[in-house]
Amino acid sequence: MNLKSIYKYGSPPHYFKLSLQLEYWLLGSGVILILIGMVGGLFIAPPDYQMGDAFRIIYFHVPSAYLSMSGYACMAVASVIGLVWRSNVAFSIAKTIAPVGAAFTFLALVTGMLWGKPMWGTAWVWDARLTSELILLLIYLAYILLHQSIEDRSKADRSSSLLALVGVINLPIIHYSVVWWNTLHQGSTISKFDSPSIASEMLWPLIFMIFGYTIFFVGVVCRGSAGEVLIREKRSKWVRAFIEGIKS
Amino acid sequence: MLFRDIIRRDLKISIRRSTDVLTGLIFFLLIALIFPLAAGTEKDLLLKMVGPVMLISALLASMMSIQNIFKPDYINGTLEQMMITTNSFSALIAVKIMMFWMIFSMPLILMACFIVSTYYVEGFSMFTVVLTLILSTLSLVNLSAFAASLTLAIRNPGALISIIVIPLSLPIIIFGSKAIELSIVSMDNSGPLYFLTGMMFFTCSLGPVVTASAIKISID
Repeated sequence: MNLKSIYKYGSPPHYFKLSLQLEYWLLGSGVILILIGMVGGLFIAPPDYQMGDAFRIIYFHVPSAYLSMSGYACMAVASVIGLVWRSNVAFSIAKTIAPVGAAFTFLALVTGMLWGKPMWGTAWVWDARLTSELILLLIYLAYILLHQSIEDRSKADRSSSLLALVGVINLPIIHYSVVWWNTLHQGSTISKFDSPSIASEMLWPLIFMIFGYTIFFVGVVCRGSAGEVLIREKRSKWVRAFIEGIKS
Repeated sequence: MLFRDIIRRDLKISIRRSTDVLTGLIFFLLIALIFPLAAGTEKDLLLKMVGPVMLISALLASMMSIQNIFKPDYINGTLEQMMITTNSFSALIAVKIMMFWMIFSMPLILMACFIVSTYYVEGFSMFTVVLTLILSTLSLVNLSAFAASLTLAIRNPGALISIIVIPLSLPIIIFGSKAIELSIVSMDNSGPLYFLTGMMFFTCSLGPVVTASAIKISID
């Protein structure tokens, strides 16, 4: 992987062709992994000793919470690449990640609330992780709104990328300042790889779900950003050739 | 000397168009005074509320008046001229932000001294309120200036500035209110004050740089 190949895949036609080839594989394998994980998690895994069947929502909660944060990191990286190399592909990726990441953040919040209602007795507590997840959602929304309200596309790309960068610097500060309050959320259970505090019948569906969600996420972003690249390059020759190819 | 010119110009403009500053200050006063009317006037309640109320009204007031910090200069081309001088553009922006802070936030803090006395704050706590407000408005002004520069190219930014600023300003609001609250119950509040000072240096050093690059994006 040298610099040349970065330039090659950073060029819109190459990126478009690559994502066109990859998207169905990614989406398909993502859905299959999610289905396996769902069967394993909802039917095979034994009910939890304390929480009963309610714990099964972690199979949806954990992957979406994890993707909401790593999605933001990917968006920030794409924004840096876009700002430095003025790459349309990177800007399209960043722009596509924003709504997808916001959707996963929303999903993480909703599944957390559904789980919290029977377990904690309330759907919402002002706990550090919940609050920073909510702030993450708000920053995603600010990014989307800023991008949509600037009419000039290149200005919109660069301004909102700058916002994504400032957000990525500020998010840890926000998180640790919210930790100031006592935290109610339980610690993560599978980060301790040597002695996981979760039974293995419960663990493998979760791993399937995490991988499935991630691959599905990449597939959605591939598909969305390919469309975005196509719109941005609509005046170029290769798009015309591609459209002609579809028509004939 | 360009810096002195900018300072003189900003001062002159703010004196000639003093209604802009006055509107922001009266807005601050109204928000701060509407809380006791809505929530009740018991002394304990007011003393518990004063920290958050001061911080939130300062945030709202600076978000409202910051819309005019770059917009007129952007429309009449002054910012573009500032961009092509040999001076560092970030330094010029830093001067402009500091001028905005002096013209708008310093009177706001003076006014806050009188407002907190209606919240029954006395003695040493008054000093803490002033210190907290100085530190936090410096950060808030830098954050709002960043949001204002991002939205320069939009004709009617409206609430977009608030949507950008409020999530980013959360740490300042949390620790600012904490500092005032701890001082009122006479506990050690050096922790939040150190954090606020850190945030102040952080935003004052990086804020103008990011703001300048956002303005460059909006102009070209």
